[in-house]
Amino acid sequence: MASKWFVVKRLLLLVPVLLGVATLVFAVLHISPGDPARVMAGQRASQEQVEMVRQEIGLSDPIWVQYGRFLADTAQLKLGESYVLRPNQSVASILKNSIPTTIELAVYGQLIGILLGLPLGVISAIKQDSITDHITRIGALTGISVPIFWSGPIVIILFSVTLGIFPTNGRIAQQYFLSDTWLFFGHELPRTGLITLDTLLLARYDAFVSAVRHLVLPASVIGFYSMALISRMMRSSMLEVVRQDYIRTARAKGQGERITFLKHGLKNAFIPVITVIGIQFGTLLGGAVLTETVFGIEGIGMILVDAIDVGDYPVVQGTVLVFALLFTLVNLGVDITYSYLDPRIQQ
Amino acid sequence: MDRTPRLRSNGPLWSWIRDRVRLVGSAALGGGVLAVLGVVVLLLVTPSGLAVVSTQAFSLGALCFGFGLLGWSGSVLAGSSVENAQRYLDTGTNWSEDDSRRAMARIGGFGFGGMVGVIAVSSILWV
Repeated sequence: MASKWFVVKRLLLLVPVLLGVATLVFAVLHISPGDPARVMAGQRASQEQVEMVRQEIGLSDPIWVQYGRFLADTAQLKLGESYVLRPNQSVASILKNSIPTTIELAVYGQLIGILLGLPLGVISAIKQDSITDHITRIGALTGISVPIFWSGPIVIILFSVTLGIFPTNGRIAQQYFLSDTWLFFGHELPRTGLITLDTLLLARYDAFVSAVRHLVLPASVIGFYSMALISRMMRSSMLEVVRQDYIRTARAKGQGERITFLKHGLKNAFIPVITVIGIQFGTLLGGAVLTETVFGIEGIGMILVDAIDVGDYPVVQGTVLVFALLFTLVNLGVDITYSYLDPRIQQ
Repeated sequence: MDRTPRLRSNGPLWSWIRDRVRLVGSAALGGGVLAVLGVVVLLLVTPSGLAVVSTQAFSLGALCFGFGLLGWSGSVLAGSSVENAQRYLDTGTNWSEDDSRRAMARIGGFGFGGMVGVIAVSSILWV
């Protein structure tokens, strides 16, 4: 298991990551054109009113004072209030409702990527240079090369509009109303926000089917990209492992091919792949921004796009920080798993 | 008995610190000088006031600092993963965590120096 010091070191890395992201977002928002005071005051406001708003929110202070105040607020998790998107609503509350949506989409996407990518990579390695291998490699290359903003609309046209199998957008059919709490041995607990889990907890199986049907297309679109990279990595890693001496020894002892591959090869070949899965999660979060926009899902990706569109700076800052935090925490989890699989990492 | 503080790798601590301070410090010095010159030149050449010029210059410095810091911590956090991916995907870019950390430390130092330089020159000119 991962040593305490290893986990502490990884947690400490959160500080420079978040400071870096906060600084980067602050700089980009101040370099980019647009005046938040004008946005807040409204397009018809007079110059005096705009100046008053500027004084009120501290934009007339020197830039380094604003930077210091921004960092201090961020450190206390004070992300501010939305200017335009949902006026006077705190950024934290806006994100609180949307984070589970994005996490659910990314997790299902990642699951699809892993469940398809690993076996495809193994098959491709076992049947190296066969027709199956070529088809799998072409599939992987296609998956890596096709952008989500193209594949998203294409699958909607094919599976929703033409074939009518899956719904085009949203998270669940409008006819379903889910209560805000569920019963756990007589205690009322709030919903998790993960709609597939909530429908199961509420024992609404018809709603669960609807939620899954809504999730299939968006999760497949981002999962396909993830699958491509994972299968490519798995193939290369597996090919390297099967050339190792211990695999030759296992074969020489008369062990069957299947057991040699699955028992001795798979675990060792999986070690480098698991690290890529962590980085992939970041790509999935980035993909979620596009996927949510294409499929009309109200996650933090869609909120980020809307906030950039209307110049709602606090929401943009908060959303990017949450993305960074999610990515770092997932990588921490992956690192701990990695160190469990390969104890040399802790040295 | 030699009482020089040592690292786990048995190298002397001071030379380890000196190397790193030199790496970041020289970049910070360069960034600071460039920022001071940049602010003064922009004030002389453009019609913009000190507030606008210092905001733009500080933001550029912060951009470098944020990028460097994020890149440095990202290299430490995901360096081995990226090295693995490079190796198994046959990209042949020779990217390494070590090189990346050094480069990012210099970029971050340059940006930080720029931010400090803007604060210094703006504080003097503000009076």
